[in-house]
Amino acid sequence: MIVSILALVASAAVLFYAKRMSAHVQEWALPVCVAAGLIALWDIACIVSGSEVFPSPLDTVYAFRELIESQRLWGDVAASLFRVTWGFLLAAGIGIPLGLVVGWSTRTFRALNPIIQGLRPISPIAWIPIAILWFGIGDGAGVFLIFLSSFFPITVGTMAAVRNISLVHQRSALNFGVRRFELFRRVVLPAALPQIITSLRIALGVAWLVIVAAEMVGMDTGLGYLINDARNAGSRYDLVVATMILIGLIGILLDFLIRRLEVFDEVRWGYTQR
Amino acid sequence: MSSSKRKAPQPKVVFEGVSKTFKKKGEPLEVLSAIDLTVDEGEFVCLLGPSGCGKSTLLNIAGGFERPTRGSVKIDGAEIVAPSSKRVFVFQEYGIFPWASVWDNVVLGIRHKSKAEQHRIVGEVIELVGLEGFERAYPMELSGGMKQRVEVARALAVEPDVLFMDEPFGALDSLTRLTLRTELLRIWNERKPTILFVTHDVDEAMQLAERIVVFSARPGRIAEIVSVDMPHPRDIGGVEYGNIKNRLYELLGVTHMI
Ligand SMILES: Nc1ncnc2c1ncn2[C@@H]1O[C@H](COP(=O)(O)OP(=O)(O)OP(=O)(O)O)[C@@H](O)[C@H]1O
Ligand SMILES: [Mg+2]
Repeated sequence: MIVSILALVASAAVLFYAKRMSAHVQEWALPVCVAAGLIALWDIACIVSGSEVFPSPLDTVYAFRELIESQRLWGDVAASLFRVTWGFLLAAGIGIPLGLVVGWSTRTFRALNPIIQGLRPISPIAWIPIAILWFGIGDGAGVFLIFLSSFFPITVGTMAAVRNISLVHQRSALNFGVRRFELFRRVVLPAALPQIITSLRIALGVAWLVIVAAEMVGMDTGLGYLINDARNAGSRYDLVVATMILIGLIGILLDFLIRRLEVFDEVRWGYTQR
Repeated sequence: MSSSKRKAPQPKVVFEGVSKTFKKKGEPLEVLSAIDLTVDEGEFVCLLGPSGCGKSTLLNIAGGFERPTRGSVKIDGAEIVAPSSKRVFVFQEYGIFPWASVWDNVVLGIRHKSKAEQHRIVGEVIELVGLEGFERAYPMELSGGMKQRVEVARALAVEPDVLFMDEPFGALDSLTRLTLRTELLRIWNERKPTILFVTHDVDEAMQLAERIVVFSARPGRIAEIVSVDMPHPRDIGGVEYGNIKNRLYELLGVTHMI
């Protein structure tokens, strides 16, 4: 309690004097203070409310240790990552080429766009019963659901990117006799790439949200299942919160990894000039 | 007079009764009306006119990007129906690819030649436009003027016999514009391509062109063709220059004395 109040006061003080800090110090000091302040508030709220079930920050740290020591955590992390990875790669492998073709060819666009737009608003969660019916409880259904949730953002994003290619660039290509496959390789794909990467990033974010929900409802491994299991097995909310934090951290890591794609010279133009 | 300097001028680009009508929300909009114009081989012609009079449209038709509603454009006697790298367009906005390095941009039109040839030609045109040392740079790392030089280099690499330039220096500051004009004239003297250069800047037209085609406002018609029979370098403070300039302003319907 005392520690928390002190932490709260200290971080408030630091925030108050923030403008005297150099930009470089602010860079890390401000978020650290905000986080410390929030954790302190969380701790104080736990003590004041006297809740028996809701874990304090310290309980959560212990729960983390328990999770790491129990061998099952890594299995659940691996299960979730396995489903997301394969579903996502499958969606990118089909969605990007499809989006390129549908975006470029007006006839294909006319034929396929209505069905894509019609299926897109259906939440991947709504597909869970069908996924289980087709693939049973397990990785197959998980991969299928992640495929669905990534496929639409990737396909639609790629389509939009291709349809946005500037007329001047198309005409440059035409002027220098760039046609057919070469046109795709030299103009259509590189012109669309920055926006494709953005849609991949969105899709991966959605995939990570969906896998947890899917595992809570219809699977017997994975981080989503772990949350459900912790609650059902004796209201272990400390494990629930620890798992939630882990899910958040892995999500940040995934986003960090996919953002590595944005630094290449071939795509950097797409993020600075817009 | 100007024809006396060139020996037996050959007609290169011939516009015959070119008209263009766009549909705008169902309403027909006549942009160009019966344009007749002959540009000789190796000639530098500026198309000058108010904004929206159809200069870009005329150039796009000549480049093969659009079809005229009526009439035709012939180059070397053959009607233009599609773009070709014998006739290169330099665009009003940046047409170079931001995802490719300067080298990869310039090599675009000669990508089917041997590596040795590519090296020779790219080296040559990059030197011609003064971009040595920037071969590996990406367009986002270049200034506006440098990007436009890349575009010019890309066009020159294919050794086109016709260059269509649509306000290529429009987005640049006046100092850079002046430099690039001088360089364009030097390149033109060296290689003698036929150049059709669109501008709405009277001084630009005066400094560059052998003949200036002045357009009236929409629907675009040729109001008059003014010859600038002055050798380079031109004395832009002289009496002759002033007289032609006055005439151009008059044709455009503005006085330049404020
Ligand atoms: N694809 C198109 N569809 C409909 N209208 C068009 C199209 N392209 C051009 N126009 C119209 O034709 C007219 C002439 O356009 P154009 O671009 O040729 O003018 P411009 O003389 O080049 O003008 P500026 O000097 O401003 O570049 C404009 O009024 C424009 O709105
Ligand atoms: Mg124009």
